[in-house]
Amino acid sequence: MRQFELSAPETVDDALASPGAFLAGGTTLVDLMKLDVMTPHRVLDINALPLRGIDTQDGLRIGALERMSDVAAHPGIYPVISRALLQSASQQLRNMASIGGNLLQRTRCSYFRDVAMPCNKREPGSGCSAITGANRMHAVLGTSDACVATHASDLAVALIALDAQVRLVGSDGTRTVALADFYRLPGATPEVENDLRPGELVAEVVVPRLDWAAHSTYVKVRDRQSYEFALCSAAVALDVRDGRVVDARVAVGGVASVPWRLRTVEAALRGSPATQASFEAAAEAAAEGARPLSDNAFKVSLMKRTVVRALLELTEGSRA
Amino acid sequence: MTSRLDGPLKVTGRATYGADNNFPGMAHGYVVLSTIAHGEIEAMDVTAAKSAPGVLAVYSPFDPLALRAPTSSLLGETWVPMQDRNVAYYGQPIGFVVAETYEQARDAAMLVEVSYRALPALTSLRDGLATAEDAPPAMDGSPPSLSVLADGVESIEDALAASPVVVEATYATAGQNHAAMEPHSAVAVWDSGVLTVYSGTQGADLQAADVASALREEPASVHSVNPFVGGAFGGKGKTSIPTFLAAAAARALDRPVKTALSREQVFTATANRPATVQAISLGAERNGTLNAIRHDSWSATPMDRSFVEPTSHGTSREWYSTRNLAISQKMVPLNIPPTTFMRAPGEAPGSFALESAIDELAVALDLDPIELRQRNNSAAPPGRDLQWSSKHLDECFRVGAARFGWSERTPQGRTDGDWLVGLGTATAMFPAMRFPATVGITLHDDDTAEVATSGADPGTGLLTVLSLVGGESLDIAPEKVTPRLGDSSFPAGGMSGGSTATASAGSAIMVAAPRVIDDLLALASSPGAPFEGAEVSYADGRVLGGGASMTFGEVLHAVGRPSITATGSSAAGEEMTKHSFSSFGAQFCEVRVHRWTREVRVSRMLGVFDAGRIINAQAARSQIMGGMIWGVSAALHEGLETEANGRTANGDLASYLVPVNADIPDVDVHFVEHPDTLHNDLGARGLGEIGTVGMAAAVANAVHNATGIRVRHIPIMIEDLLPE
Ligand SMILES: Cc1cc2nc3c(=O)[nH]c(=O)nc-3n(C[C@H](O)[C@H](O)[C@H](O)COP(=O)(O)OP(=O)(O)OC[C@H]3O[C@@H](n4cnc5c(N)ncnc54)[C@H](O)[C@@H]3O)c2cc1C
Repeated sequence: MRQFELSAPETVDDALASPGAFLAGGTTLVDLMKLDVMTPHRVLDINALPLRGIDTQDGLRIGALERMSDVAAHPGIYPVISRALLQSASQQLRNMASIGGNLLQRTRCSYFRDVAMPCNKREPGSGCSAITGANRMHAVLGTSDACVATHASDLAVALIALDAQVRLVGSDGTRTVALADFYRLPGATPEVENDLRPGELVAEVVVPRLDWAAHSTYVKVRDRQSYEFALCSAAVALDVRDGRVVDARVAVGGVASVPWRLRTVEAALRGSPATQASFEAAAEAAAEGARPLSDNAFKVSLMKRTVVRALLELTEGSRA
Repeated sequence: MTSRLDGPLKVTGRATYGADNNFPGMAHGYVVLSTIAHGEIEAMDVTAAKSAPGVLAVYSPFDPLALRAPTSSLLGETWVPMQDRNVAYYGQPIGFVVAETYEQARDAAMLVEVSYRALPALTSLRDGLATAEDAPPAMDGSPPSLSVLADGVESIEDALAASPVVVEATYATAGQNHAAMEPHSAVAVWDSGVLTVYSGTQGADLQAADVASALREEPASVHSVNPFVGGAFGGKGKTSIPTFLAAAAARALDRPVKTALSREQVFTATANRPATVQAISLGAERNGTLNAIRHDSWSATPMDRSFVEPTSHGTSREWYSTRNLAISQKMVPLNIPPTTFMRAPGEAPGSFALESAIDELAVALDLDPIELRQRNNSAAPPGRDLQWSSKHLDECFRVGAARFGWSERTPQGRTDGDWLVGLGTATAMFPAMRFPATVGITLHDDDTAEVATSGADPGTGLLTVLSLVGGESLDIAPEKVTPRLGDSSFPAGGMSGGSTATASAGSAIMVAAPRVIDDLLALASSPGAPFEGAEVSYADGRVLGGGASMTFGEVLHAVGRPSITATGSSAAGEEMTKHSFSSFGAQFCEVRVHRWTREVRVSRMLGVFDAGRIINAQAARSQIMGGMIWGVSAALHEGLETEANGRTANGDLASYLVPVNADIPDVDVHFVEHPDTLHNDLGARGLGEIGTVGMAAAVANAVHNATGIRVRHIPIMIEDLLPE
């Protein structure tokens, strides 16, 4: 870790006035500083800022500095969100980590985390080590020739499924961006991961009201039962009436460069019977456009199966 | 139940491990590692590093610390860094930065610029199979290839051809890192010409000798101290790089020096368990009687060929009764980090292959896998006359089957909701050995005793065993015995390894105790002493004679001696010419595989073991549990991945997975207790390593039972079980 200067602004204006890396829970930032991947000269501890509060009156409004554990435990949070959170990291990390920081966490690609290796995301133009390297954990959707890293947040997958937005505050004022537009595909500029402008703060996450999202879940498939990132995950919400799917939300994680909404799967589900056969048929479209790498071709089939499992668990009740 | 004497210290953070020691004026070192797998270092630009804040010295092959590679009879030569410019693996120590603080040393290390002349690297075991070499002789001196053939049988091929049922398959096991909680580290302090190194090791006297040899110092001038060791598992048998570097730098700079590897560095700058490939053919009669076993093994080894995983010799050589046997061991030199012993070296990966193959044979014969094993139970290793001293493997299986509900198993497993459920079993064996060990027993005039040996307790429970066996041998309460370990100034205890410590040190205590008691009695009845001229005896911590009795402390007081000491030694002896020795066990496991997404979850596990007499039930159970969990880890989680360029792809604990609590159900451990006094007077055989043996096969066999899919490599991953 390099030497840095630490300050702790007490107002949003003060935070916006001084350039530096924002520190919330620090579970991404400090980790990457220790690895020399992020080397900010100035760090602004934003924990004193009033970016707090969980409001479930009309949809959800969650302050960016709310802790993952508090949000997961809050009554009135849609199940898909709290399940995504509870299957993230460990309890200790969830107690520390913030909602804003979670959405902005960096990829877990091991080449991104190793400064001895080329990585276009860390050092634009240096090359992508993962494309020819160990890429079992990497993405099959949304990738480019410059980067095949996944976005690792579980929460973001649930939020994308629910059409969430982020409220951003900068020195030019406030703006609200749909999370689906906030994340950027890597293309030729994998170092640009989102729409956040320099010095801009994530103030709040807004989830529009969706009553049938009470009927939602998050399934996470991973190499051990806890404390591990997803090989594949699925966030699903279903509006089922009289055995038919009226509406559906489906998004997947662990397989794509950004949290990945499956609108074609949703369309196929709409109007079809809530049965295993139609879930399987709809899930066939999940991996459309997938570009598997040497070690992760299995994610194509795993993705469909994860979606089917999530849909079944939602309609047949959990069968642990 | 006796609990661990060092438990409270460890769980409250009061146990001082090597790197917990601090001294005034102490400097900190940071190791620089190579970033190519093969080649030569052309230049190292250390200008920026040298002028970085706080830096005291930067060592490199161009300006090295003087070190020489030490050799020990047990472990061979130990490589020391910076003595030439060759790079043989990615992550090899090539430099050393010493600064006032750890952070300064680390930051400066990042400023070192290395230029290499890179050479082609061979890093894949599969690619190297074609150029495999014969392995050196096994630990017991047996040749890499050997066979035992029945009269009139020409070759193992003939024996297989004549077998009505044959199964043949090739298995692979991944390399593993010991990943002990305590990273390899050392604090080195010179004081009046004597060097003290505080550094976790499996043998303080061996480490002191290594360091003295490496620094060309007199053995007497190096003192090694490690009362606590934060996990070793074979990975702290050889003296580690930080120990050599801290010792040499402390001498060069005339300051105490502390050095610890980072977790990432532990993956390459120490030594790992090598990956293996194993081909097995089993030939059997229709009734299941084994006619032929062929087991050919290939082990990865680093370019210096310093260690080979002896999978064939460790298993098929001894495990089953068979008329014909042929085994071979080859090695594949690769540009990979060093390899070394890890818990059950040979037996752990070897048993994955052999016990999977036995399960495959049971399927081919449509025979219960326990039944098949029992039919081929051996009275002695094939081709040897020496019978097992005490073997109760049958009982382990019988007791285990009843305890586990084995009779409910069906050949196709069963389903429970969305979960496919299967049961698996496997045999576990681990040779019972003793290494040379000397123990000193001191009786004090306050009625306490001290039992000391230089060996180590890397979490095994040896410290507690010393007090228990010491108390028993001296006929006093164990609380009156202070056990002392981990100091090269104590009587030479050798290495805590090979699951030998309890048998070795325990036997030595049983030699030392009568000696010190004899000395006490002689003293008590000597002229001027309380029992002068009397017929004396000893019981219950007291000297008895002439109708009177005194505690040993009172006797010592009376004769004005604060203490008396005697030593006793033990080593493998005559018994080896009379019997074969091994511990035995039966492993059971139940797995659940998700119908859709194919995660494997272990839902129940049981191990039943025959390890002779159990000295400390709690510590014994913990050892076995830990071993069984290692087996689950090897089966489902753990595996070093080496990239084509030699880089370890998963060299940190974020990507090198070990099980978390949620992965491990309750672990049931049971012992069938039959003291083995043919092995040693204590009756105890080793049980440190056997817990991991067979477990990976039991998991894989359970996965097969649940899914019908036979995975012949570990770790087993989700993609191995996904139908197309
Ligand atoms: C061992 C481990 C396991 C993990 N497992 C999982 C997992 O299974 N699933 C999962 O989803 N995540 C996982 N994580 C990631 C974890 O959830 C994130 O590290 C955490 O959510 C980040 O939040 P934080 O508050 O600590 O962020 P910080 O580390 O404080 O910040 C992260 C980044 O966001 C910026 N930032 C923070 N807050 C704001 C804001 N309000 N406005 C603008 N910029 C901001 C920071 O400058 C920094 O760049 C894991 C992390 C670790 C270390």
